[in-house]
Amino acid sequence: MLILGIETSCDETSAALVEDGNNILSSTIATQLDLLKKYGGVVPEVAARRHAELIGYVIKEALNTGKKTLDDVDAVAVTSRQGLIGCLMVGVAAAKSISYARQIPLIGLHHIEGHIFANILSNPDLPIPHIALTVSGGHNMLVHVKKNCRYEVLGATLDDAAGEAFDKVAKFLGLDFPGGPVIDRLSKQGNRKAFAFPRPMIRSKELDFSFSGLKTAVINMFKEKIANGESLPLSDIAASFQEAVVDTLVAKTIRAVEEKNAKVVSVTGGVSANTRLREVFTETCKKKGIQVFFPKLSLCTDNAAMIAAAGYARIKMGERSDLRLNVFPNAPLGG
Amino acid sequence: MIVLGIDTSGYVNAVGISDGRQVLIDQSFPARTDSLEQIVDNIDTTLKKAKLKLKEVEGIGVGLGPGSWTGIKVGVTVGKMLAFSAEKPVCGITTLEALAYTTHSRTKLVCPVISAGVGDAVYAAFYKAGIQKGDFFTGDVKDLAALIKEPVILVGNNIKSYRDILVKQKPLLKNKITIKEAMPNGAAVACLAAACLKQGKTEDPLSLTPLYLKESTAKVFVNKYKVKK
Repeated sequence: MLILGIETSCDETSAALVEDGNNILSSTIATQLDLLKKYGGVVPEVAARRHAELIGYVIKEALNTGKKTLDDVDAVAVTSRQGLIGCLMVGVAAAKSISYARQIPLIGLHHIEGHIFANILSNPDLPIPHIALTVSGGHNMLVHVKKNCRYEVLGATLDDAAGEAFDKVAKFLGLDFPGGPVIDRLSKQGNRKAFAFPRPMIRSKELDFSFSGLKTAVINMFKEKIANGESLPLSDIAASFQEAVVDTLVAKTIRAVEEKNAKVVSVTGGVSANTRLREVFTETCKKKGIQVFFPKLSLCTDNAAMIAAAGYARIKMGERSDLRLNVFPNAPLGG
Repeated sequence: MIVLGIDTSGYVNAVGISDGRQVLIDQSFPARTDSLEQIVDNIDTTLKKAKLKLKEVEGIGVGLGPGSWTGIKVGVTVGKMLAFSAEKPVCGITTLEALAYTTHSRTKLVCPVISAGVGDAVYAAFYKAGIQKGDFFTGDVKDLAALIKEPVILVGNNIKSYRDILVKQKPLLKNKITIKEAMPNGAAVACLAAACLKQGKTEDPLSLTPLYLKESTAKVFVNKYKVKK
């Protein structure tokens, strides 16, 4: 079964062809990096306009790269829940139109479910049940994946997502956008123990996250150094900040694993590309006898292949959306 | 030539069908915040009422705006992806031209007016015999008064209130302005698209983009900031 996936929930216009939920024939992503750099982040209306401009070309490119035509496509899967409303609308409008014109099934999906499937798509042997940590610039969640497409949300960020904290700290330090990869690179030359930044809520029993306080601590320290005319060891600040984020994410995930008596961890989302996060997860899980899985780098950030894979699983379960499919920017992860 | 026309730039999902000579059906579905939810269903309902199948449609006309930013993003995306997926030729029609068309005036100057969302800001343009005269207008409706030099038909939604503002601004216009109340209209888009497609003027459906006429607030802000710097 060939699924066309469409994902436009934030700033990547993407389309993909995935066969039987595991074979990626194509994954086309048009990034808006030029706009991100210009505005220092995602501006919803600007991003939505770009999607409306590019969506058709991106879908056509995904078909061409996969050497398929719409005649070969058996269903359309699209992100309809969680994201920027105007951006989601463009993807859903496109998906509905294709479904209607070709008389093929349509399925609307939650963006986070897509990220959970990015790891299943990367690692066909990833066992279910498992604990999934989804972490990016827009979301930060701990999810108990109980069965195929059945989820229990254990915790989420109360303010900034980890990736958002990376971006904002990087912006403050005068580094490039997006902040994640830049801080990752810079940290390799820095001392992770140079500054003792707070590990937010690390002792709390709750599985929620909060990164806004940590971000402020870094910024305040930075300002203080400037005021005192001290030198600014950017790589040390970056490394110490990154270490605080990584420690927090790992500690909370391990707590969730222990609470649910799980044996497997799946780390996914844009920040799962972070080398230090992968290193610490790998070490910690090895010590504790827990299996840990990461997506392929190409599937960490937003992409439509993960949406097609999730769509395949849902369609196999007999689920369909009708042509009145709408968008829900703040929908919880259900099912 | 059977042409389907859609326009979701206003507070209606307008869907109409023309056979190239006359209007076969003209539907207007109320849609304030649910244009995305309804639009494909509305198209299906309209085709069924006209006893037509999508495969019998020979061309698609798409209302490009200006109007609601969300509305035109939805309408243009639906129009272009329908045309691409069903392999139909497509023609983009500005909503202002389609509004002007609804007056059916071949001799008088026609000025369609569309609310730009904030206060008395409007989008407008002038047409004579279906041909646009001059540029698009974006600004306060008051400033349109200075551009009106001859008798004109004002057309649009809530048009009486715009006439009143113009007459207040320039009392001489009192006898020069006639009005026609109209909403964005799918059949008008279909008729104009049919004329355009008959002349062989088709566009690559994937290249269709909404006509915003106004930059997003963020862009305006960044540009201002850059100039000051």
